Parts: sequence; C-alpha cells; structure tokens
Amino acid sequence: MRDDISTIRNIGISAHIDSGKTTLTERILFYCKKIHAIHEIKDKDGKGATMDSMELERERGITISSAATNVDWKDHSINIIDTPGHVDFTIEVERALRVLDGAILVLCAVGGVQSQSITVDRQLKRYQVPRIAFINKCDRTGANPYRVTQHLREKLGLNAVLLQIPIGLEDKLAGVIDLITMKALYFDGENGETIREEEIPANMREEAEAKHKDMLDAITMVSDELAEAYLEGKVTNELIHDTIRKATISLQLTPVALGSAYKNKGVQPLLDMTIKYLPDPNDVNNIALDLDANENEVKLISDKDKPTVALAFKLEDGQYGQLSYIRIYQGSLKKGDELYNSRSQKKFKVGRLIRMHADKMEDINNARCGDIVAVFGIDCASGDTFSHPNLNYSMTTMHVPETVISLAIKPKDLKSSDNLGKALNRFVKEDPTFRTYTDEESGERIISGMGELHLDVYIERMKREYDVIVEAGMPQVAYREAITKPVTFDYTHKKQTGGSGQFARIAGTIEPNHEGVFEFVDKIKGGVIPTEFIPACEKGFFECMKKGRLIGFPIVGVKITLEDGDFHSVDSSTMAFQIASTAAFWQVYSKANPQILEPIMKVTVEGPSEFQGNIFGSINQRRGIIISSTEDDIICRVEADVPLSEMFGYSTDLRSMTQGKSEFSMEFLKYSKVPESISDKIKKEIEEKKKKKGK
Amino acid sequence: MIKTEQHKRNPLRILKNSTKGGVGKGNIGVIAARKGVGKTACLVHIATDQLFEEKHVIHVSFSANTSHIISWYEDIFDEIAKKFSIDSAAEVHDRIIKNRIIMNFNQDGVKIKQITNSMKSLIKDGNFSANTIVIDGYDFTKCTIDDLKIIRSFANELGLEVWFSASLKDDKTELNENGIPAVLSDFTDEISILIYMKPEKDYIKLQLIKDHDIFPVPDMHLKLDPLSLLIVETE
Repeated sequence: MRDDISTIRNIGISAHIDSGKTTLTERILFYCKKIHAIHEIKDKDGKGATMDSMELERERGITISSAATNVDWKDHSINIIDTPGHVDFTIEVERALRVLDGAILVLCAVGGVQSQSITVDRQLKRYQVPRIAFINKCDRTGANPYRVTQHLREKLGLNAVLLQIPIGLEDKLAGVIDLITMKALYFDGENGETIREEEIPANMREEAEAKHKDMLDAITMVSDELAEAYLEGKVTNELIHDTIRKATISLQLTPVALGSAYKNKGVQPLLDMTIKYLPDPNDVNNIALDLDANENEVKLISDKDKPTVALAFKLEDGQYGQLSYIRIYQGSLKKGDELYNSRSQKKFKVGRLIRMHADKMEDINNARCGDIVAVFGIDCASGDTFSHPNLNYSMTTMHVPETVISLAIKPKDLKSSDNLGKALNRFVKEDPTFRTYTDEESGERIISGMGELHLDVYIERMKREYDVIVEAGMPQVAYREAITKPVTFDYTHKKQTGGSGQFARIAGTIEPNHEGVFEFVDKIKGGVIPTEFIPACEKGFFECMKKGRLIGFPIVGVKITLEDGDFHSVDSSTMAFQIASTAAFWQVYSKANPQILEPIMKVTVEGPSEFQGNIFGSINQRRGIIISSTEDDIICRVEADVPLSEMFGYSTDLRSMTQGKSEFSMEFLKYSKVPESISDKIKKEIEEKKKKKGK
Repeated sequence: MIKTEQHKRNPLRILKNSTKGGVGKGNIGVIAARKGVGKTACLVHIATDQLFEEKHVIHVSFSANTSHIISWYEDIFDEIAKKFSIDSAAEVHDRIIKNRIIMNFNQDGVKIKQITNSMKSLIKDGNFSANTIVIDGYDFTKCTIDDLKIIRSFANELGLEVWFSASLKDDKTELNENGIPAVLSDFTDEISILIYMKPEKDYIKLQLIKDHDIFPVPDMHLKLDPLSLLIVETE
C-alpha cells in the first residue's frame, strides 16, 4: 500500500455503446501488465475482454456490471470502474460515478457525440466528475477527431481542448503528436507496447505549430498565470500541465486525447494524462450525513488516521460468498476491523480484504482512504454506508429513478421455484432500480425495472447464474391515476347500534396537486376533530393512494385539506376516523374526474439521414411527439417524447426498417395524461387481464 | 382556437392588418437585421403566435444543438403568458408546444433542396400538418434565386407560409439606395413581405419595406421591446 493518497486515481470509463471502451480498458490492463495477452470482445478464441466478467456480457458483447480493477501506472495506483453503455443500465453508471473522482469519456472518431454520450455526460455533470475525452477509433474510415472535438464543445458544452493531433488518419493512422512536448509518438512492437518518440514529421510541422498555438490560446483563457507567462515568453511544460490539471479538476476544461485502442495507438499517453490531470482523492469534496445530528452534512477528510467511512457501491456473488465493492472515503481499513452499517444498524467484522482485477483477486491486509477495494461475506445492500462504530454516517442518497415497466414471472419447475427467491434477493440488493413484489390479487411474482432490456438481462441472469427458468408475461407499463378536478367531501362514519360504537365525521377538499405528490393539510380549528385523530385521517387518505379505482394503479398528485369534522366523546376512535377518510375519498373519487397517466420516455433515435422519413414515421405511429431533428452530415438524430407503452419491440422494428443501421436510447421523462381513446383501451385490457387471472 | 386577450390584442395582428393579410400561403416573409438585433426573438414570437392559433410550426435552424432554440420558445412563451395573464399557462404551453418541431441542420453548406426534402419527409412520414415554417440563420450570401424558387414552390405545394431571418453586414452598406437590404436585393421578387429591424435610440423599430406588390409602404408602428423581446406597438 502506498502512503501517498495523491498517487491514487479512481476513474471510470464512460461511453456510448460500441465506442470501444471495453477494448480500451483491455489495452490499459495490458500496458499496466495486469494481463499478458489481449482478447477482443467476441474473440475468435471464445474469450471475451477481461473486464466483461459476466458470461452474458461476453456473449452479447456489452458490459453490464461495473467490474472494478486496479492497475499501476508510473508509480500511481489507478482503480478503474468499467461502466455499462446501455441506457437501461444507467443506475450502474450512476452508482459507479458516485464513487469516482474522474472519468475518461470515450468517443468514436466517426460517430462523435452520440445519444448515449450525451446521457453519460449529463450524468458526469450531475456528479461533477472531471473528465478527459479520448477520441477512439481514429483508424476507422470517416474518422475526424477535429469534428468530434467541435461536437464536444457544441453539443456537450465542454471546453474541449485537443492536446494531441493524429499522424495520419483512417488506415494511415501512424501515431500522435503531443502538442505540449511537440514530439511525435509512435507505438511499436506487436501490441504497441514500445513508445518511440521522434521529431514531428516535416510535413506536419506547420499544422502542429498552429494547433499548439490554438491549444495554448484555449488554456490561457482559464489561467491568468499562464496568460502572463505566455506574454512574457516564459511558458514551461510544467506550467501547462499544472494549469490543465487545475482547470480539469475545476471543470473549466476537458483535455482531449486521441488514438485507436484496437490498433494499439495512443493508450499510454492517455494513461499519462489520467495521472497528470484527473483528480486524486484529496482534490474532491465528499460529504456524509450525520444521522445522529439531524442529518447535518459532514465533510469527509482524506486522512488515514480519521475514523473510517466507506460506501458499498457494487455487490457481486463470488465463489466465497457475497463480494462487496467499497470506496473508502475517510480513515483506513484492515482485516479484522469492526465497522457499522448505518442502514441495517448492525456491526460487522471485516474478514477478507481484496483488491480486484476483473475476475481475479488479490488478498490485501489493509487499505486506506481514497481506495476502492472489495470485502467478502458482509451482508449489505448496494449504497450502504460503513463507518467506524463510533460514527453514524450515511453518504448522500443516490439518485434512484422510479421503475417504469414490470412483468409477471412464473418459475417453470420446482428447482427454479426454489432458487428464484435467492436470485431475486441478490438482484434487488445489487440494483436499486430492479424491484420485485407479489401481486396481492393474482399472487403472481412481479419484477419491475427501467426498460425491456433491463428486465431481459435479469431473466437471462436467473437462468445462467441460478439455473432458474421462468415464464415471463407481457411487459406491463407502470400507469398511474390522477384526479383533475377539485371536489369537496363531507362524510360521516357512524355505527352505533349495539356494542361499542364508531363515529367520525370529516369534511374538506380533495384537489389535484401539481407537484405530483400526496399532500395532507390540516386546517381543523377549535378542536372539532381532536388532534390525536388527525394522523388517522391522513393515514386513511394515504392508504387510498396505493390503488386507484380506475384501473387499479397508484394514485399520484393529490392534495387533501381537512377543514371540518365532528367526533363523539365515547364512540370516536382512530379506527373510525381512518375508515371515514378512506370512505370519504372513494365517495368523491369519480367526481374528481380521475384520469390515467402513463410514463413518457425521452427517446433519441440516431441513424443515417436516408432513413429519416422512416424514423419520423415510426415515432408518429407510436403516438410520439417529435421535439427536434438534427441532421449532421450523413447522420440524423431525432428527439421525441413517446409513451413507454408504445416502445415495446421498437428496437426490432427500428433495426428492420433501417437495415440495422439505426439505434435508439430512452429514459424516463414524465407522467402524462393518456388520451381518451387510449384510456378506454387500457381500461378494457386491464379488465380482460383481471378476468383471465380470475379464471 | 385559444381565444385569449393575447389573441385579440396581439401586435402581430397589426402586422397582419398592415400588410395584405400577412405573408399568405406559398409566400416568403423575411426579417432582416444586423447580428444581435433580435431577429430570432421576432421569428420565435411569430412562430409562438401561430402556435397560439393552434397552427403547426417547423422551426429550421443551423446551430450545433437545439437546446438554446427551445429556451427561446420558453422565454417568449413566458413573456406572453405574463403579459396577457394567461390562465393555466403550463397546460396551454404543453398543449401548443407539441405543434412545434425544430429541424436542425448543422452540416456545412447544406442545400435548400435537402432542407425541403427533410421537411417534406417530416410532414408526410411524420404526419405533421405544418402551416408555417420559420428558417432562422440561413446564409443569404450563399443563396441563389433558384433556392428561393425551390422554397416557394415547396410552400405552394404544401400550402405553407415561410418566414426567414436574414443577417445583414454591420456597416453602412447594409441597405442599398432603394432602402432594400443589400444582401436581399436580388431576391425582392421572391419575397412577399420584407421587414427591416432598425436600431433606434432605445428600441428596435420594425420597418415594413415591402408588402407584396406595395413598395414603399406606410409605417406599421411596431417595435421589438428590448426588455421582454416581444414585438409591441410603438407609443
């Protein structure tokens, strides 16, 4: 273990799917001597890239889980989290971002800033993660790193500054010119492992000088010190590096590197930039909430002698039990230490402490703040905070989106039935956007998540990892019900014949709450309803929100104002007021003109311009509203708001109508009223479903 | 139709009344000004006015991303909503804004034919029954008379009215001796309504230069309010 925290880098590799981030990670592992041979994704020898640790990921050529790995580069320890590229798994990306100090944003030199790059960059911005950009695939036909840099500026609003220029492009890509040292770098040897530094080729000298000046102009804009040195002719490479580092960390600048990971060009300089410009744990402010002090914010300090605070950000089922990846924010950790989980309020002892390299692991005795390590055999959920037993801290809650789709699953045989619970239990712990419950009416097991692919992957994982085969029902959209008209209520619950009686009278208004949440306002004056019965009223109304009477989905956005009422000194009880509230709500619910709300997704479709008409048509057919379309050379990008219910099977349709050349991404945008005609259809469908289940 | 005060008291009605019923289907209107004078604000106000009339608008732009155009619409809508105290503005906004589509072209030297083809595809395949097209940021120095003929014929075929903005050079040659913006002097036959935004001391005057076959034309008494960036009547 190194003593100096400033030599630690915790980075993520974020990118659009297929921009080559797994290949890049593989090369990084190779150059840092963590692996001894390079495997491509879907290699002929059947081996996938090392970071794609799950079998399923290897098969699909996509990365689903954020496996963590540690590498050493020039006396620095770099922890890399490989993050998934598909939007259905963005919780994985977001969770990884939570524990990172910096990121490499990988872009394709041909595709440039694609839809997923925009989503990923938005996430990086949300967590204020400093980044460097790597323009990959410069060996591909149509590669244009200058255009991509321009896109970074215009589409992502980043102050992107090229620190390198390519020597040749497409199949003539020979190396890169470092614009700071003004040297040409070539990557020799079978796998590009030997870097040869040469003078800039004569025919590129002029271009390199011009780009060097552009680079300096851009950097001087963010630093008065450098601007002064520039005017006085006293610019040194150290000063440039120092300025870039400060500006990158303060999010004023995004350094841009380029190359081709596949052709083994430009990866080592990217590693150099990672340790030079991305922040070390000391550079980043991390906050925890003190649960013993009214959730006051506490700044965590990267000091190994302070009490430990760590966050579990990723769980995996390993050979020897549950493996929990943790980031240590404060203090240090050794085998045998006692820690406290603030969520479960339980203490536990740290058994094995592991440093991970994809699916290989190394036992270590201790780790310190700033580091990312894994521990074995701890019962915890993803997002749990561990701290020294004297502290009761929780790291800031992570942004967890609501699930938008669900489906019923049924185990096919007894064996599957036995293991299903185990599998679901694991997935729920791993992924906060994956949820499961049993439908009370039908008794069916329901799983819900962020999209079709999200749930498909879990069904596949059940099969592969737990031998659980399930029959999945049709996906069900998570509809909501909402009232649209204010109504008044005045209800008396009275049962005073024989035995102990019940009496409660309540009156007030029920109205739409545009905030979309449940709100209860108590305006009772003069004790017409005694204070002790008010919570029962709120509870009675709140219970109604769980299941609407239009189609049986939760009701959202209701404001209830309790204005008047009456009670009986003997017969009134909390039970009576709760019953009265529930009955009052249902009595006026239909008068409040309830409507069905459906999830609307923000959809971005990207494809060759020649298919623009097909894309427009496909969105129109799906009740989508086209917001904008952008044509950019040969590519067009259409942004639209489309109801989720209409998006089932879209990937197949899109592929077939655009010869497989288009792709789309989507994320939840808002809930919106369903048009009358569709509303009737939904009611019918749900009615029929209920009848079927009843049979 | 959203019959509100904004509809009745809207200065854009004055524009329509001052001219021979506005641009009219199959015709082209141009708002010409130097950079930074407020052409986009005017076009967005005209487009938003059409949206209030429950008409469908395609906004064509040539910038890197569409977010700032969307912001223009939000700002102009908010100003109108504030000025005319529109009830349940959020609902009205959601209802009308879906009738606007932004088409953005950011390749260099995009041809008019490509723009009309893309619009046609949106109107036909996307089933978007556009009434008005606003084209903001088109470079008239690269425009030919044939380009405008293509646009007119497209507008005629689909019954659309088209508004352009034209950027003028920031020097004394911006208007020629007939008071026509120099960059547009070859195209006056193809332009039905031509408005010049003239910076005055503390406001921008909207000066009608050409109204179909009438030239010169009387003053419309309209200006761009520098605070709200809405088109308003001069006092």
